[in-house]
Amino acid sequence: MDSSRQPAHAIDYMERTRKLYSSQPAYRWASFDPESEPPPFTPIAGPLSSLRIALMASGGVHDQEQEPFHFRNDTSVREIATDTPIDDLRVSHFGYDISDAQIDPGCVLPLRALRELEAEGVIRSLVDPALTFMGGIYSTRRVAEEVAPRFLDFVLRQKADLAYLVPA
Amino acid sequence: MGLIARVLEEAGVPTLIMTSAWDITRAMGPPRAAFLHAPLGHQTGPPGDPDAQRAIVRAALEAGVSIEGPGEIVDLEIPWPHDPGWEARAYSAEHVETDPNGKPKRG
Repeated sequence: MDSSRQPAHAIDYMERTRKLYSSQPAYRWASFDPESEPPPFTPIAGPLSSLRIALMASGGVHDQEQEPFHFRNDTSVREIATDTPIDDLRVSHFGYDISDAQIDPGCVLPLRALRELEAEGVIRSLVDPALTFMGGIYSTRRVAEEVAPRFLDFVLRQKADLAYLVPA
Repeated sequence: MGLIARVLEEAGVPTLIMTSAWDITRAMGPPRAAFLHAPLGHQTGPPGDPDAQRAIVRAALEAGVSIEGPGEIVDLEIPWPHDPGWEARAYSAEHVETDPNGKPKRG
């Protein structure tokens, strides 16, 4: 399959956003030139059932006991114990419609799904805790300097075989 | 997330990005990605349906493991019957900006 080709049904979010906010300065998404800056790639070692998986999500999910996320450019990270009851999770985010995620944080933080897949033996294990933050950081430098190193340190320490990244 | 994925992959940690925005993820040059055609804010499934969420996450992980080279985005080809008409509303004139509590922002 030619993965560079967008499925016909996929929505042109960049085009729609440009139109929606045409009166404001154009938002610039992070982008890399596929020719000069191809993505780095580390092969996955072994079948899914042998993998220890780290979950990291930017949907703004946090435990009710933790400080909520703030408006834009919040680079703080929350550690979410993987056995946290779903009713104890809260969502704060400005960048997407969170009404369904507030009803069920599993829409953007699949803790329950991964716990079930671990119990079924589909994956070997889920790294505890999961890490969350609130995307919508309007500075690639701050993501690179403040968020990415923390995540890297975490997955190396936890000896994760795969980082499952869920943006929002 | 594309930026974070690149940092992890460069350091030898495989990554899989779960996306519902093909074009934005494509522009970031993801090492590996799985695409669910669903409204933003539902990348891992519909609310209140643990079975559907588990099936989506499982399909994404299985697709991710099957990716053999950099930059591939696998379309999971899972239908989204939960919100008819969502495609027309997404980021259209009906889109409403919200504050971090999910409340509509006053203009």
